Amino acid sequence: MKQVATTSQQRHSSHEYDHLVPLFDELAALEEDDPRREALRDELVTGYLPLAEHIAHRFAGRGTPKEDLVQVATVGLINAVDRFEPDKGSDFLSYAVPTVMGEVRRHFRDASWAMRVPRRLKELHLSVSGASTRLAQQLGRAPTPAEIATHLGISKDEVYEGLEAGQAYHASSLDESLGNDGEGMPLGEAIGEQDSGLEGVENHEALEPLIRDLPQRERHIIALRFYYNLTQTQIAERVGISQMHVSRLLSRTLAKLRQGLLENNDTEEAATSE
Amino acid sequence: MRLGANLVHLPIVRAVAVNIAMRADFDVDAISDLELAVDEACSSLITHAVAGSVLSCRFTIGADDIMFTVTITSSEDVRPSESTFGWRVLTTLTDGVSSWADRLEDSLHQVHIEFVKRRPVVMR
Repeated sequence: MKQVATTSQQRHSSHEYDHLVPLFDELAALEEDDPRREALRDELVTGYLPLAEHIAHRFAGRGTPKEDLVQVATVGLINAVDRFEPDKGSDFLSYAVPTVMGEVRRHFRDASWAMRVPRRLKELHLSVSGASTRLAQQLGRAPTPAEIATHLGISKDEVYEGLEAGQAYHASSLDESLGNDGEGMPLGEAIGEQDSGLEGVENHEALEPLIRDLPQRERHIIALRFYYNLTQTQIAERVGISQMHVSRLLSRTLAKLRQGLLENNDTEEAATSE
Repeated sequence: MRLGANLVHLPIVRAVAVNIAMRADFDVDAISDLELAVDEACSSLITHAVAGSVLSCRFTIGADDIMFTVTITSSEDVRPSESTFGWRVLTTLTDGVSSWADRLEDSLHQVHIEFVKRRPVVMR
């Protein structure tokens, strides 16, 4: 099951992708702002779409509509295309398969809200979140609810509902994303930030171990927001998740840090009053 | 709005903040930043509030900004220090924060945190 890439069917289909492989080198050779990047990226995403569909198919029949799964897997595929570095030696398929599967698994983990939130709202949330991501790419900044409404052709009230549905989700899936099961976060980016940023912060002795204990992705996101001052949309793009996911992770992580600092204070007070 | 100074009421304040920012058509980053800042300001004060006291929150909606003021009663002057991590969080998320305290009788203090979140300027 796990070794997707070695089944005969997959080996057959990896030949289907052979013509795409040189495109990665072409893409890597282009400057960040080269207008040809977009066309190449589209060609790669479209070319590898059968892979996303194949993986989505393997997760079908677990109560999530097939179209949703394909959408989620496609997001994973786009992330994989964006983050794949051909000069790092591995081939794209062995990089993409775990990335796409990670995205689908994360979707199931997130889907713990499925029990409580009506399906219509979940779908609304998913399409609002997706539209927000697409618009952010087009506009180069975070979109407003009115822009999302126009883009999707729905009312602003529906957009509000879709945005708010994310909060229900937030409350019900507290353990989501704790593990980092090889989901392809760009390693090497999350280095050194906790030392550089925290000097000069009064409670940094108490804070440092708390930050060190955070899952890598959360630590990275906190650093990008509060030390490098990136917006949530910029962070979403870098880390390869949606802005709403960034928002939830920040909220949860800040709460965890506050709780940790509070417990720390209580212990200190208890110690000094003895 | 006036609620009990208890963390269990925080989701209500957050929901109001989100709703106001959405209806003002702030972008999705600013909506979330406002929510996170409200969460941070309120929870940092609530943990110091006198038991059974009131959490008072005020949203002032301007043409291009939303101002938020939270006030609690504490037995000490618990204004957050400007060198804490929590303060860094507030200054990153908002466009201007201040905190002050008024001395009440019975050696109580009324402690306030106030911040403003501006509508980001965009080139359309």
